[in-house]
Amino acid sequence: MSLVGAKVLRKEDPRLLSGTGTYVDDLSPAQCAFASFVTSAEAHATIDAIDVRAALAIPGVLAVYTAADFTDYPDLPGGLPTLERPALARNTVRFVGEPVAVVVAEDRYIAADAVAAVTVSYSPLKVMTTIEDATAGDSVPLFPRHGSNVITIVPTMDDLEKELAKCHGRASLHIVNQRCAAVPIEPMAVLADWKPDGLTVWATFQAPHHLRNYLATWLDIPQMNCRVVAPDVGGGFGSKIVWYPELFIAPVISKLLRRPVKFAQTRTEAMMQMAHGRDQVHDIEVGYEKDGTIKALRLIVSQNLGAYGDPTGLGLAVLTTWMAAGAYRIPKVSTSFRTVVTNTTPVAAYRGAGRPEAAYSIERIVDQVARQTGLDPAVVRQRNFIPPSAFPYETHNEAVVYDSADFPAALAECLRIVDYDAVRAEQKARRNDPSKPLLGIGLSCWLEIAGFGPNGSLEGFGHLASWESAQVRIQPDGSAIVYSGSSPHGQGHETMLSQIASDELGISFDRIKVITGDTAAVLQGIGTMGSRGAPTAGSAVKVASSRVLTRAKRIAAHLLEAAEEDLEVVDDAFNVKGSPGKKVSWGDVAWASFQPLRIPPELQAGSLEERLFQESPNFSYPSGAYACVVEIDRETGDVTIRDMVLVDDCGTVINPLLAEGQVHGGVAQGIAQALYEGVSYDSSTGQPVTANLLDYLVPSAADLPDYKVGRTTTLCPNNPLGAKGIGESGSVGAPPAVINAIVDALSEFGVDHIDMPATPEKIWKAMKSGGNS
Amino acid sequence: MSVALPTSVDEVVDLLVRNPSATLLAGGTDLMVEVNLHGRRPTDVVALNRVAELRTWSVDSSRRTVTIGSGVPYAEMETGELARLLPALAEAARTVGSPQIRAAGTLGGNLGTCSPAGDGLPVLAALEASIDVVGPNGSRQVHFADFMVGVKRNSLRPSEFVRSVTFPLNDGWQGYAKVGTRNAMVIATASVCLVRTNDHVAVALGAVGPTIIRANGAEAWLAANHRMSSPPSNDTLAEFGRLVREASRPIDDHRSTAAYRRHAVGVLAQRLLTRSYS
Repeated sequence: MSLVGAKVLRKEDPRLLSGTGTYVDDLSPAQCAFASFVTSAEAHATIDAIDVRAALAIPGVLAVYTAADFTDYPDLPGGLPTLERPALARNTVRFVGEPVAVVVAEDRYIAADAVAAVTVSYSPLKVMTTIEDATAGDSVPLFPRHGSNVITIVPTMDDLEKELAKCHGRASLHIVNQRCAAVPIEPMAVLADWKPDGLTVWATFQAPHHLRNYLATWLDIPQMNCRVVAPDVGGGFGSKIVWYPELFIAPVISKLLRRPVKFAQTRTEAMMQMAHGRDQVHDIEVGYEKDGTIKALRLIVSQNLGAYGDPTGLGLAVLTTWMAAGAYRIPKVSTSFRTVVTNTTPVAAYRGAGRPEAAYSIERIVDQVARQTGLDPAVVRQRNFIPPSAFPYETHNEAVVYDSADFPAALAECLRIVDYDAVRAEQKARRNDPSKPLLGIGLSCWLEIAGFGPNGSLEGFGHLASWESAQVRIQPDGSAIVYSGSSPHGQGHETMLSQIASDELGISFDRIKVITGDTAAVLQGIGTMGSRGAPTAGSAVKVASSRVLTRAKRIAAHLLEAAEEDLEVVDDAFNVKGSPGKKVSWGDVAWASFQPLRIPPELQAGSLEERLFQESPNFSYPSGAYACVVEIDRETGDVTIRDMVLVDDCGTVINPLLAEGQVHGGVAQGIAQALYEGVSYDSSTGQPVTANLLDYLVPSAADLPDYKVGRTTTLCPNNPLGAKGIGESGSVGAPPAVINAIVDALSEFGVDHIDMPATPEKIWKAMKSGGNS
Repeated sequence: MSVALPTSVDEVVDLLVRNPSATLLAGGTDLMVEVNLHGRRPTDVVALNRVAELRTWSVDSSRRTVTIGSGVPYAEMETGELARLLPALAEAARTVGSPQIRAAGTLGGNLGTCSPAGDGLPVLAALEASIDVVGPNGSRQVHFADFMVGVKRNSLRPSEFVRSVTFPLNDGWQGYAKVGTRNAMVIATASVCLVRTNDHVAVALGAVGPTIIRANGAEAWLAANHRMSSPPSNDTLAEFGRLVREASRPIDDHRSTAAYRRHAVGVLAQRLLTRSYS
């Protein structure tokens, strides 16, 4: 029986759910000191003076460091020339919460008191929190040496004005994809222990080898003496592959003080210091024919980078423009973008990273075409879909070749589950019944680029490479250890990779252990992001396991004096087919594999071990069809999601429980972006007004509906598993479904668009003003 | 920082007499936010959680009242006998924070903080609860309307604190409704408590003014123009809603605009009035 595809319970849960997991802040080596950061209270200012005397006088304070103490160290990695970010602010602060000084004390409480005792005097500069302000005539460059707040511009060769003008009709929308915070349940934490024979850093991070590579360079020590461990990691969503100052500063402090040093963020610090996501503004326009077919698409993107250009943040708009046309065959596509720095927290990857923004805009404009043509939104989608026969499908960008999909089938399944015609009929009936809430139904036929990735793709974001590593090692008793370079932060790698290895090796699930997240144990690795776990790490484990099995069979055949091809692996044993009872257990084979006298002469002792770096010839393209049914209170504008149907195509499903869990979580974040979440700043002072979980509205269980889940399957041809990845699907697919449903419900008020988050107040205003919200 | 752990009301009074600026700590759901987020650094804390008397409640059937100790947590008001006696308070209690917060947060804390968005306070206003205040000169009864005097300001004198709250029991209908920015764990952007008896409707509005507001104009208009025995007509509802909105004095902040708060408080009051007949 195959375990791949089976609902296997998560191996990691007994540990994680019983409170016996180990997170960074659970570690407290002897003599551990605690660091806490003095952060900027100003959004944009020059630092006149930092007075640390009062802090140093507090008993238990070990040291206070400022930028002046880090002159021997370079700026943080990944910055563009003239836009570098120092580890601690030097002369200028560019966002509220930017670290200015670091206090080290005997414990975190003394450190907090000492932080409050540090006085920083500032001379305020002009504050610009939005793209509009940062590019206005009276704007001031955040980086005077760069001279402008516009950092990159990628123009279009052809704005398609001619094609658009030729069409029967044109539809356009101005769309704000608001800034969101990732809000992992575990904020940033790092523990550094510098010893004479090497440095160990425990960090809550999605890519420990990636951190090791950059940290060693930054500290100017050989990588052999730089061990990075990501223990249990409580969520990341992209916000834990960012070069935060504390990751680099903690080792230096440990070296200076000759003690282990720990730093763990509070939630408020996390809301200001961990990278945010999204924050794009789109102008999207399409030209369509009378029958709803779209002939031309133009997408203009502006990306708010925040105060510093994060390597991923700079690339978000690239991914958005790549995926601009979504699931549709549009003959002409024109995209352009610019990135802009502002006095806000830096923006980087957040679950979906550039693709939710693309899916949102294309799915909104398709609905607008339906609105303007009077056609049903489902029909407009069906008429524009890339047909199943057209894959692999070359898009407007040569880097992007869709692997496989069946969009019509996914939409049909979605419409069936939601009972689309019945909802439409109910909606019609309600139009004339003001005693009932407004009803709306929204569709989202999304697709995203995932499985990062083919050679060169992650290198563009500063990673060493784009493969993922696996090492499969059989122990002398026939149990197996699988090492993966993809380090999890909640996904369930231990379960998923054990299932794959178990199927390939014929070793039972319970006799396989998965080890990740330690550069001293795992040979090399890239990390967990971009929905790459199953396609890359899973495929690596599959191939490595099958190679081990080939050699194990050779040993078994040798021991049984049988032919390899006559062997099958059943119940942790090698059986000779057709000869019941003639078998040797995996344990015996494993034991023998270490004994030179018992193995075939062409093998060496210890040969039941394989390591490999799995490359991918192309990305994967998970897709799906979602439907959302909302009811809107006619008086308050309050939205209730009555139904949420999620039909996903992620190729091969390794474990339906994990896949559903990923979709549920992603959709929760997608619904939250549509209805609740949004990071905002006071535009004149740059002070964050949503820096806690009272004002930043992550959803609670009481806000979310039960989901109805369906599935279609088209295999990914680009990896041995056929898996496409599913980590980001929900956050890509859900926002347009929800907003399309809301706009649909409000259609009788003449509302064409409502920006996220669609709060009751915004909806109420839209109902009152007839649409111009 | 010193922390005193008194076990009786007298001890609390003694501590407050000795140090009138001491900070009272009940469930900590407001105070700890002040400490953790807003840098408040109390020097002397008097923790009330060991004062058993404050954590009890009782019914006086002859006077037809229920008295709830200031240290009774919201969780105890959500269900059971208290919820049966004071359904509006139970509804309000259920909207407070999370289960953890409700297990800790108290009416006394709500009164100590006196935030206009305090979830329990509109119920006290609509039911005309009276507050038993204890101090060095003994105890005194203060009507809620005289207790809350401004945004986060109450009429407690130095060294006084809230021992209990007494609610009159009536045979009428009572209900509470709240609008927030999500369905749980939110600060109210508008809240209403409505109490309907044979001859009167009382309406108290939360989060739409510096104090809890009684919509006196709306109450008087209903008493004069509406037959209490039958459900309101649409015209009655419209005028009632308008007068409630008129009574509100909301402000703009980052959670809501004044316009929406004013609108929402009218809708909530209309719905509660309708619900009172269903």
